[in-house]
Amino acid sequence: MNEQISALMDGELALDAHDSTRLDPIFSAMKTGGESAESWATYHLIGDVMRGNPMFKPDFQQRMMQRLEKEATVLAPHASKKAIHHDDKNHKGLKMPAKWSIAASVAAVAFVGWMALQLPSQNIANITANEIAQNVPAEYLVAHQASASGNAAFYVQPASYSESAR
Amino acid sequence: MLRSFSTCALSLSFTLAFADQPTENEVWAVLQNAAQAAHSQNYQGVFTYQSGSSTKSVQIVHANQPHGEYARILVLDGSPREILSHGEDVIIYRSQDEKVIIEKRHRQNTFPALLPLDIDTLKAAYKARWGGIERIGGRDGQIVFLDSRDRYRYGYKFWADREYGLLLRSIMLNLHNEALEQITFNQLTFFNVTNMDWFHPNISRDKKYCMESTEPANKLMNQPAWTVTSLPVGFRKLEQSTHTMPGKSVPITHIIYSDGLAAVSLFVEPINKGIRPKIGHWVMGATHIHAGVSNNHQIMVVGEVPEATTIQIASAVRFNQ
Repeated sequence: MNEQISALMDGELALDAHDSTRLDPIFSAMKTGGESAESWATYHLIGDVMRGNPMFKPDFQQRMMQRLEKEATVLAPHASKKAIHHDDKNHKGLKMPAKWSIAASVAAVAFVGWMALQLPSQNIANITANEIAQNVPAEYLVAHQASASGNAAFYVQPASYSESAR
Repeated sequence: MLRSFSTCALSLSFTLAFADQPTENEVWAVLQNAAQAAHSQNYQGVFTYQSGSSTKSVQIVHANQPHGEYARILVLDGSPREILSHGEDVIIYRSQDEKVIIEKRHRQNTFPALLPLDIDTLKAAYKARWGGIERIGGRDGQIVFLDSRDRYRYGYKFWADREYGLLLRSIMLNLHNEALEQITFNQLTFFNVTNMDWFHPNISRDKKYCMESTEPANKLMNQPAWTVTSLPVGFRKLEQSTHTMPGKSVPITHIIYSDGLAAVSLFVEPINKGIRPKIGHWVMGATHIHAGVSNNHQIMVVGEVPEATTIQIASAVRFNQ
């Protein structure tokens, strides 16, 4: 199954619009979570690391939600701005809109991040071996494994490695 | 015959001696025996290789014959891979789509022959520690820890068969004592070789065969304009060669260093005009890759070692003025 997930990511599975019988078992396996879903996530993480994409920490969502919860809910920002003019000593009030905009920008980043994470699953075939090979020094890894490395070289072939080694 | 007798006698003496806590020398002797057994014994079995979320089952048959050592290794999970080795020669058969790719390599230290035959070479960098007896796959395993003396390599935990010496299990531990890579025999039998019928690749004959086009690596022709100073303790140069890599016009100097267990590759090449050098760090399982630039050269270090080791080796390259 892992092999198929890896092949799917690399665009090696023949994607026939009229015949989804090869893909359906993979998708349903990944949807049920467990090892398949984990493999899917791990392979993408490897790909991200190899391509040098910035990554969120594992607890990003949690921390994001915590930050949002701490933010005061501003239902009418204009009203609060007016309040600041009226009361210059209220520094708390002054900070509030600024804070809100930070949270908003984080939310925007989160949205972009979410979009970026969604993209691979839609455009799997577009991630070519070249993209990966250009960033990770795969040719050096292959040369190392061919002459120096121990177990990993024999038994493990990450999706991108087998691609670039072709 | 004599050799196998002495091996038996040796392991017997351990079993008796280890009623008390064994001395460090005795612990080293367990590893020496394990290194020997991987080459001298006849065995077959199935082991599991685990690194990160990747797991592979591997079948191995190993025979020590008058004409040398023969082994057939078959990767049972994922894409079919078969490895046949005779002495120093290793041939890998890989099925891919409609063809079989054949690749030649030199013998490497792979499980269960992980340990160097000259165990003394490990003593500068590792400390051996006794860990007791534990049952692995129905056999008694003598546990030995190899702790790194510094932060430039990973540690190991080995289980060596009490009777035959062979490694039953091996775990590579990072600096926080977490497993990076684990290999365990699930099934193991020692046998007497009667025939060699098993020593052939079991690949379909109606597929096309093609040899992996590997550029011949030349022994170094001219002395490079740089030297390597101050390696981490225990690392020695094993091999130096020049490669021509696909898509590169200049030959790359490739040096392999090893401390007896961990291997590191150093690649140095002049940077061509118009080519953007790579800078950065990558991690894949236990393998670290460090890319840097020095004196208009691309320095690349790849190895199953901590990040600090790759940085140290990269910065040990000194250019002659």
